[in-house]
Amino acid sequence: MTLNSVVETDFPEEFIEEMEKSSDVLPKKIDANPKNVEKGLAKLVLTLIELIRKLLEKQAMRRVEVGSLSEEEIERVGETLMKLENKMKELKQIFGLKDEELNLNLGPLGDLM
Amino acid sequence: MKLYTYGIIDSSKQINEPIYGLERACVYNIPYCDIGMVVSECTEPVQNVTKGSVLAHEEVIERLMGYFTVLPVRFHTVFDGRGGVVSLMQSYYKDFRDNLDRLRNKVEFGIKVIWPSDKIKEHIINTYKKNDQKVSVPDDSSNKRFIRKKLEKYKINEEFEKKANKFINVMDIFFSKFAAEKKLKKLKTKNLLLDAVYLVEKDKQDDFKEAFEHIKNAHASFKFLFSGLWPPYNFVILPKKNDLVRNLAQEDLFDKVIQHQDLVGADKI
Repeated sequence: MTLNSVVETDFPEEFIEEMEKSSDVLPKKIDANPKNVEKGLAKLVLTLIELIRKLLEKQAMRRVEVGSLSEEEIERVGETLMKLENKMKELKQIFGLKDEELNLNLGPLGDLM
Repeated sequence: MKLYTYGIIDSSKQINEPIYGLERACVYNIPYCDIGMVVSECTEPVQNVTKGSVLAHEEVIERLMGYFTVLPVRFHTVFDGRGGVVSLMQSYYKDFRDNLDRLRNKVEFGIKVIWPSDKIKEHIINTYKKNDQKVSVPDDSSNKRFIRKKLEKYKINEEFEKKANKFINVMDIFFSKFAAEKKLKKLKTKNLLLDAVYLVEKDKQDDFKEAFEHIKNAHASFKFLFSGLWPPYNFVILPKKNDLVRNLAQEDLFDKVIQHQDLVGADKI
């Protein structure tokens, strides 16, 4: 072989590990078959719920940070977000899903989260 | 007889030098107008992705790069016969031509950077605590304490992202001086700060490499991977690229190859 291309690094194993981590998280297609269709669907639905939950949380943090929420509102938002988070934990446990599995690869747009 | 494809070149003439591809078959050009598809004949579809077959594919493309502008074709794209190849070229001639013009005399380099994310996060948390940047949320109920904790985490993550952007911007300014196009992916994992590919004109490749060495030396606690020069795997723009590869039975093989290519910054068209 007379390849001109080179890969130069002093840390090949660490790069392999990181690249494997980043590609393991997101399958290229949804693995749906009769045996695991329930889990596949749950993964898809929970991913979307998780996205909305994170957006809500981020928006709430921004509003708390700039002081646009009253103490009463903070109390209510806190209760809602806490309940939502606990419910998500419960559902993830039921379907045997890990945090890092709740993501979707949107092709050229990148990852959902 | 099936035809194994390597790349589209900006010439309709035959290749003067003998080049051997997969199964040690001689590589030749199938012309269409002023461009051509470089192929070799293969008897059976490649059943296993081996290091040898991937390297043979890459070697052919690299040899072609010495004489032509090449649009590399994804590993293991096989056609049933000459008719299929010509039909593809006919359908996409304008796109292929545009890409060949845009990518003339340009090559691709990959750069990946690992940063000490844990140390950086730890530093952010310590600074946060030291400066006593307490958030203005009372903690007289569990709900408010929950928000308080979340807000602290949110601010720390925000700072982490800011630092990542800062480092990436500094590096990118240097690399972009010598690049025609680029694609950057930030924080694919918490450690992998940057996964980038740059399209560089051939006569600027030494400057680009020098810029990389400069950045590498300036960031001693970071880990760097430099790869290239590659054919412009990541810069071929085709509107309906999925139609080009119809060999769905081989998807798993593609996935394996793509994983290997990811390590060196190469992708597929």
